[in-house]
Amino acid sequence: MTLYFGDILPYLPVMLKALWVSIYVTLISFAAGGVLGIFIYLAKASRFKALQLVSNGYIEVIRNTPLLVQLYLIYFGLGSVGINFNPLWSVLIGMTLNNSAYTAEIFRAGISAVPKGLREAGTALGMPFHQTFTYVMLKPGIRNVLPALTNQFIVLFLFSSIGSVIALDELTSTLQNLNSQTLRTLEIFSVGAVLYFLTSAAIAFGSRITERLAFKW
Amino acid sequence: MIITVEGLHKSFGKLEVLKGIDCAVAEGEVLCVIGPSGSGKSTFLRCLNFLESFKEGHVTISGHNLTGAKTNLNAVRRDVGMVFQSFNVFPHMKVIDNIMLAPMKVGKVSRADARSRGMALLEKVGLTNKADVYPSTLSGGQMQRVAIARALAMEPTVMLFDEPTSALDPETVGDVLDVMKKLAEEGMTMVVVTHEMGFAREVADRVLFMDAGLIVEEGTPAQIFESPQHARTQAFLSKLL
Amino acid sequence: MVGLMDFVQYLPPLLRGAGLTLVICVAAGVLGSLIGVVFGTAKASPCFIARAISSLYVNFIRGVPILIILLFTYFALPLMLPALTFSRGFTAVVGLSVYSGAYMAEIVRGGIQAVPKGQSEAAEALGMHYFTRLRYVIFPQAMKIAVPPGIGFLIALVKASSLVSVIGFVDLTRAGRIVTTLNQEPLLTFLIVGALYFVISYPISLLGTWYERKLA
Repeated sequence: MTLYFGDILPYLPVMLKALWVSIYVTLISFAAGGVLGIFIYLAKASRFKALQLVSNGYIEVIRNTPLLVQLYLIYFGLGSVGINFNPLWSVLIGMTLNNSAYTAEIFRAGISAVPKGLREAGTALGMPFHQTFTYVMLKPGIRNVLPALTNQFIVLFLFSSIGSVIALDELTSTLQNLNSQTLRTLEIFSVGAVLYFLTSAAIAFGSRITERLAFKW
Repeated sequence: MIITVEGLHKSFGKLEVLKGIDCAVAEGEVLCVIGPSGSGKSTFLRCLNFLESFKEGHVTISGHNLTGAKTNLNAVRRDVGMVFQSFNVFPHMKVIDNIMLAPMKVGKVSRADARSRGMALLEKVGLTNKADVYPSTLSGGQMQRVAIARALAMEPTVMLFDEPTSALDPETVGDVLDVMKKLAEEGMTMVVVTHEMGFAREVADRVLFMDAGLIVEEGTPAQIFESPQHARTQAFLSKLL
Repeated sequence: MVGLMDFVQYLPPLLRGAGLTLVICVAAGVLGSLIGVVFGTAKASPCFIARAISSLYVNFIRGVPILIILLFTYFALPLMLPALTFSRGFTAVVGLSVYSGAYMAEIVRGGIQAVPKGQSEAAEALGMHYFTRLRYVIFPQAMKIAVPPGIGFLIALVKASSLVSVIGFVDLTRAGRIVTTLNQEPLLTFLIVGALYFVISYPISLLGTWYERKLA
């Protein structure tokens, strides 16, 4: 078995374009899921038992079932009752909903990790809660969640490969297509793996730099 | 009387921590509260600005009735300053910003006025050269002095101190106590929960000895420290001095 | 609209799929843990070469999607060892073990490094050298710390195992796909599939919560 990477060089642009699809699908789901996650966290942290129950149930169901099954439910399941989403929308919806559950938990952990004393100091100075939250708890809270959010982003990026199962044109499905075209299996998949790895590493590195620059206290 | 406490009871679930506290503090008076751990002294102090809520009892402080129907708790806390055992200085802001935050956001003071007020307070606590640094570079005693300046920035009428020196290295305790002494000399009404008996003896106008949720004995420092009347007071003091 | 009672006939294949999911998860969990202990210890060791090699493996695998790992294993194994034929189940377990090994290694490394430095120093002061210290003092404590994240990963493994359906292994997800071609009811079928995954995962997460509470 010989490896010859030269054969696949002309296909690099196609792979990079597909990588970009993976990336922007991740970006959209991360942002949308993040916003949704904030609302779910607020529901869970609220005083209303009904909201707590619904948000907790949502989080537990999402976290204990595979993303692939969630995707099948959206693409095939909803399709069978007339709600048709194309592969791109199915993946975006699936990844957004999935991400929102994890993001909600990340926010909960980050906020609760802010020392209680800081909050009391803000209250003792006469600040109403929304001010204490904005000026005293938010920045330390964000610093707490940055590593977890970065990790979640990378996990989401790796999850985007699941889109290949319903024929979304992201990197993994492109790799499978190229594989059947060129039969250079090992070369194609190793290059693909390296592309994924380099992107993940770049994201992790970027996050560490951001942490050092933005949170210099 | 700038502070009046009547029949204050406080329970955490089934555990009754304050079993009926009656107390009054005059303007300009320095009241020190001493007692063993678990006596409820910190809980009592924290009830005075309603950081701990209570259902039974009556507290008025600086003209506010804490359990009144129309009372705005934020307004109460603007008039009552608190210094914590664990300092609770905001780590993500420079020292001067720590002090300026509440006056600007709550007191609606302009940035320039807040800054000049802040610098004046830093001079009072002896830390003007630390105005633009982050708290992580400060020692415990320095952080506590910043916390005192931060509380004073709101120009409170009463200052509450919850074991302000218990978490400090012995070398820095003196600096913080000096600041508190100065405040007392300037006529600030202070309620101080402390283990520093020397401070209580020297600065307090009155001393309260608490044990198991009740005030066991109260009097001037001379009365409490030289001739304690109750057996429990005597037992507590003999272990310390 | 197929009624719930009619659906009962489809339960056996789904339950078989669930059983196979459990089997490959247990297998990959055990193998992955062994790999994780070896590479995690290496990654936390003072020896540069051990750290370098395990970092290469751990960091690379953690930066690549599980699907790529499974596909690579599926295509690469026959190419590397052309004389042998590999069952789908074997490929699935190998791929999942390689995946689990990397994540378990990070958990083990984290556990080792979370043991207070004073423990190692005290053991060193008593005259123990590295491997003795590791075996009797560091490792037992590290494993206790590693249990909650380990359990968390087991749940992730159960979910990741759903991807072996892509390489044709008939796990719970693939069984679900097959059933939907028979009954044309993807909504109901996959809700049941999801429920079955939940039944497998949720007790594991409760175990994790119970263990964490026990520690506190």
